[in-house]
Amino acid sequence: MAMMGILTVQADDTTYPYLTFETTDGTKSSVSVSSDQTITISGNTLTIGGQSFTLANLSKMYFSTSDQTTGISEIMKADLEEATEIYDLRGCKISKDQMSRGIYVIKTNKGTFKVNVK
Amino acid sequence: MKKTIYVLLAALLLTISATAQSLNITDADGIIYQFLAANMTESSAAAFGADENSVTINGKTFYFTGISSMTAKSTSDVENNTVSIVYNGSTAIVTIAGNVAPYVTATVNGAHVTIAQSNTDAVDGDEITYVLSGTTTDGEFALSGSYKCTVSLAGLTLTNPSGAAINITNGKRIQISAKNGTVNTLTDGTGGSQKGCIYSKGQIQLQGKGTLNVVGNTKHAIKSGDYITVKNLTLNITSSVGDGISCNEYFQMKSGVVTISGVGDDGIQCDLDGTTSTGETADHEDEDSGNIYIEGGTLNISVTGNATWDSEDSEVKGTKCISADGDMKISGGTLTLTNSGSGGKGIKVDGKLTISDDANLTVTTTGYIAYCSSTSNTTIRTTTSSSTTEKLDDALKTSPKGIKADGAMTISGGTTVVSAKYHEAIETKSTLDITGGYVYAESGDDAINSSSHMTISGGYVMANSSGNDGLDANGNMYIKGGNVFAIAKTTPEVGLDANTEGGYKLYISGGNVVAIGGFESGASITGGTAKSASYTKGAWYGLYNGGTQVFAFKVPSNSSMGSTMAVYTTGTPALSKGVTTSGTSFWNDNGYSSFSGGSSVSLSNYSSGGGGPGGGGPGGH
Repeated sequence: MAMMGILTVQADDTTYPYLTFETTDGTKSSVSVSSDQTITISGNTLTIGGQSFTLANLSKMYFSTSDQTTGISEIMKADLEEATEIYDLRGCKISKDQMSRGIYVIKTNKGTFKVNVK
Repeated sequence: MKKTIYVLLAALLLTISATAQSLNITDADGIIYQFLAANMTESSAAAFGADENSVTINGKTFYFTGISSMTAKSTSDVENNTVSIVYNGSTAIVTIAGNVAPYVTATVNGAHVTIAQSNTDAVDGDEITYVLSGTTTDGEFALSGSYKCTVSLAGLTLTNPSGAAINITNGKRIQISAKNGTVNTLTDGTGGSQKGCIYSKGQIQLQGKGTLNVVGNTKHAIKSGDYITVKNLTLNITSSVGDGISCNEYFQMKSGVVTISGVGDDGIQCDLDGTTSTGETADHEDEDSGNIYIEGGTLNISVTGNATWDSEDSEVKGTKCISADGDMKISGGTLTLTNSGSGGKGIKVDGKLTISDDANLTVTTTGYIAYCSSTSNTTIRTTTSSSTTEKLDDALKTSPKGIKADGAMTISGGTTVVSAKYHEAIETKSTLDITGGYVYAESGDDAINSSSHMTISGGYVMANSSGNDGLDANGNMYIKGGNVFAIAKTTPEVGLDANTEGGYKLYISGGNVVAIGGFESGASITGGTAKSASYTKGAWYGLYNGGTQVFAFKVPSNSSMGSTMAVYTTGTPALSKGVTTSGTSFWNDNGYSSFSGGSSVSLSNYSSGGGGPGGGGPGGH
């Protein structure tokens, strides 16, 4: 009950645990900012938490209260096998063996995908 | 149940850890811009430029080539409308809240921080606050702009060896606030061109419950081109070449503790900004009066500077603890003012002086009279005797008075204790009206002097002169009420002196009066009875009015005092000698409200004489 009380007080504050990037085609990709995330710009690419965006495609960047990622592609298990890099939502690089239920970003030879492992 | 608890825990952790996300952008000059998440949501999103080279956030455009780092942080360091400046040795870190980023341009050179503020109205309903902290021996905070703002001192020790510590050319109202519990010390450089260690072109509101120490090594410690107010702050001015505080328009102290010492000129000086005074205005709105208002707090000023020749005004000028171009109103607070400089005064008011309500003043001047022989020989000399300088033009001399007002003086309340060793303790060049309060004046010259009429109708007044008259009016003197104890030097001086030579007169029509040295000859004494008695130096006496105790008083032990003591009450006066005092003390503990015991003193009829000074001796036993 005590915990419920604390939760009620804290709930008045709006939190924004995600930084969401929107591209010119309306696609949104959210990055967790529960921990600090460095944003780098190199050439025409913006990179944060293992995700990379082509500057020419980016239109907006904003904080959001939830993961607003859209356009999660259905990829074949074979594609997953070909993943060259896998990142969790904190931006930490992990191996396939470390994947459990949740959302991940994987890089393959076909492109970068966000996958929802169920 | 266990699963529910885990969910709640997760939600709680998420809430706690993500309450203040921010986007930090550090530019090529090291300036940090911090955009709070709440100000950068989908409806106020950062927009990437079509040129692929820039991003605009909350109206502030950053070109990628000018960004040294960009971080999405889980926390934030500054609140909206805030600019944080942390001094650290030879560097300073400036963090600007994103919502004011379009209006704040910062330049950092070592620990010298210059801010250009461009807003002309409130930002998100509020002004901008600059929070200064840290330590540097070679730093600065300079601010330009055209809208009011706050400078919050949050534990700052800053020395600028080459100029002002805080230099504000923004002409609007600036709050300089010492944060509660912090100690802040500001020091400027020597031999500079700055007008103050803290300088503001516009109004300064000094406040906060912290402590601010200021040293002015070139001119004033604190200088404002407009008014200055003080509230709550503990302000210590420990040294300045010029004034401790110098301002225009008006000065107002509401509360706080202000201690000023080590100044080369005045403690506090307030000048008229324009050429014509507005007088006091409602809530001091647009006021330019040169007035000083002390309404509360504690004000301690110790001045030691000697008189100098002022070539600009072609006059000998002494220092003052407090100096006002206009009027001065003291309605509260505890003031302890000490001036030991030659020609130095405690309070000098060009206009009217009013002391009322809960004012509590102790003013002491011990300096010599200062003078020079001519405008071509301006070497300052000193003397203890007014006769040395009485033939000199006023511009060639200045006297160390306790309180001097060129305008009318009114005392209606409070406690005023003034001691001036070599000149008048209290002097007005106009009229003096005392209607209440406790007044004790002690001087080697007239204790209390007015150039025009003097009226006492209430209160308790003791005027103790060891070298001249006790009370001296150069017009008529009216004693209509109150309680008066005046002591004069031996004849021809008198306790109560009106300007008989000028055709004026002493009128006693009420109150209770004791005068060592007697009353001015030819006095009009009505509505009561006057008697005479001999007295003993240093003895305590009790005064009765028709059998009712009035007050107890102690006769001073001055080396030279008038030969007799005249007493007046509205009934039949009586005196007891050697009384034991009790009740409320006043007159610097030379008076008490109650007494007991003692032995009856023989009184004789008082003769007011027919004119000429020094009358009023015993009428015979």
